[in-house]
Amino acid sequence: MTDAATTLVDQSRTRSSGRWLYAASITLLCAWVIVPLYLLLINTLSAPETVNSFPKSFIPEFDLGSLQFFAGFRGMLEALRNSIVVALLTMVMSVLIGAPAGYALSRFEFRGKELFRMLILLTRAFPLPLLALPLAVLFIRTGLDDTAFGLALVHTTLALPFAVLITFSLFSGIPVELEEAAWTLGCTRLTAFTKVVLPLILPGITASAIFAFVISWNEVFAAAVLTIENRTLTAFLLQTLGEAPMHLKFAGGFILVVPALIFIFAVRKYLFAMWGIANR
Amino acid sequence: MFSIKSLAATAAILFTTAPLQAEVLFWSTQARPVEEAQAMREQVLSGFEAGVDYQPNEDGPWLTRLQAELQAGSGSIDLLGALHGNFSALDPETLMDLDDLGVASKSETFNNLAKLGTDSLQYIPWMQASYIMAANKEALPYLPEGADIDALTYDQLIAWSKAVHEATGEAKFGFPAGPKGLKHRFFQGYLYPSYTNGVVRTFASDDAVVAWEKFRELWEHTNPASTNFSFMQEQLLSGDAWIVFDHTSRLAQAFNERPDDFVAFPAPSGPTGRGFMPVLAGIAIPKTVTDAEGAKALLAYMLKPETQIATLKATNFFPVVDVDLPDDLPPSVKAAGAAVAKMSAASDANPGLLPAGLGDKGGDFNRVFVDSFERIVLARQDIRQVLDDQKGQLAAIMEETGAPCWAPDAPSEGACPVE
Repeated sequence: MTDAATTLVDQSRTRSSGRWLYAASITLLCAWVIVPLYLLLINTLSAPETVNSFPKSFIPEFDLGSLQFFAGFRGMLEALRNSIVVALLTMVMSVLIGAPAGYALSRFEFRGKELFRMLILLTRAFPLPLLALPLAVLFIRTGLDDTAFGLALVHTTLALPFAVLITFSLFSGIPVELEEAAWTLGCTRLTAFTKVVLPLILPGITASAIFAFVISWNEVFAAAVLTIENRTLTAFLLQTLGEAPMHLKFAGGFILVVPALIFIFAVRKYLFAMWGIANR
Repeated sequence: MFSIKSLAATAAILFTTAPLQAEVLFWSTQARPVEEAQAMREQVLSGFEAGVDYQPNEDGPWLTRLQAELQAGSGSIDLLGALHGNFSALDPETLMDLDDLGVASKSETFNNLAKLGTDSLQYIPWMQASYIMAANKEALPYLPEGADIDALTYDQLIAWSKAVHEATGEAKFGFPAGPKGLKHRFFQGYLYPSYTNGVVRTFASDDAVVAWEKFRELWEHTNPASTNFSFMQEQLLSGDAWIVFDHTSRLAQAFNERPDDFVAFPAPSGPTGRGFMPVLAGIAIPKTVTDAEGAKALLAYMLKPETQIATLKATNFFPVVDVDLPDDLPPSVKAAGAAVAKMSAASDANPGLLPAGLGDKGGDFNRVFVDSFERIVLARQDIRQVLDDQKGQLAAIMEETGAPCWAPDAPSEGACPVE
């Protein structure tokens, strides 16, 4: 009796300390992400003097001066629109090209498969400042220069390795038997794919699209060299922020982060769904 | 093709609803910080009728885009704005000769620099600045006895920083030794001329050893976080540094935000005078220009006295043509202008010029000084040995480029020798 009671107490104690540890890790992880964003928000909403002073208050004072400065900044909205257009184009193209490649890698045996998997990573091996010059020359000659489509092509190249490798692991996670069963039940290769496999990996594909979006959103150098009139928000703002006063750096950073945050927030359930698949 | 484009441009000027293409594209490395870019657009360039698309860029994208357009043989950049150093890294052949425009700066030295080693103007001097000292007024009580802040010596600067250090317990001298800081200009234009009356010839002289010893002394009282400082206005405002050295436009924000809290003053002097260095920015037209008339018109507009004053207010860079300065200048301009004026008018003034004739080796030249700084001051290696090591690299750069000596080094025949 007493023995059993002690064990019970012990067990609940272990369980409660485990729960504590769990809660603490969750809090820490959340703080890891939220605290910098919160500091960014506070400093964005602070007057210049407050930004430079120390210690910092944790309650924003709602001084809109820094944001107002950007409201009057010529070309911001246009740049925001360009950024979204380029990022969406990058998303679509990287999925259209990346997903079939991922499917081929997971389902077919072909010569040079390992080499192909290596080579796909090579697109990230060369720094953009090195590639930008010949690319820009080519783009000017072909008329792709200063277009959203041209820039999206470059960003697609950067996003492709992720698209291919993510979809490759997703396809590999779906047993080929499912497809085979569909074939025996009258599906062709294509319909088996669209009716059975695609619904299963759609969330994962969306996730790889999100990666493409973020990569395109964050890229500066190619955007700065390959566009002039049609600048993306990052190229438009980031270059002028590096040497700006602190309060404007914070406000500009905030403006750059918010649209991406909203986008990721909107599609977050697909991101979680991908991890759900990976766990299965 | 050309005539169609210029027709379109003319048509665009005639009809007030000008399409974007008619704007002159001004591709610049200057006035990059958001506030300055905004001021350039709203206060300086808005007066140009045809309209200007002002695009400030970091040096990397600026150069890459320009090179791409030159290689492709066509492009959209009409006007280039950059520092002398940016232009001297370009092949003069890629820039239009600008002699027939009939505009130039009032300084013959600047006009000669703008020829980039050719016989004609490759760019037109646009605006100038310099490096000065600034201090928090709280530091003033610690000035050594008998020291005049407008005529400090390096010894007095060290004593002052030491006094502040001892009184506050913190090293409060601030030096822009961060990755984007302009530390190399301090050595090339200030420390070396003040101690050795030269830069290249005297690089490894005994006087240079003394100069580095002095700088090491100063470093004892320098905020150790200086290796992260690039814009000293930030540390002035935050109080991390009380006495600083930096580019006038990198101090401007401090004076504009709290004009009553800071003073600007000339750089200190050494045994061979008060070394200081001007900064020169220029405007050029690339060979691939699409709207040459528009570009020339804008260039002439930028050199007008009114535009030069507007530019001064927007960027804290001073005019290169004769102007009557108005009274309503921002605090930063007044403070910096006075300090620069005192510095250049000082009886012991020893102005150094920007490195000239180095072509694309300008970066390597700076590297020699930055490396010496890192080895001598940060790694505390033996000064004589470091200078003897670095001397070889400097000599190789000079020989490869064949650049003759510039002031304060004595003139040379052929490449400037490292003695």
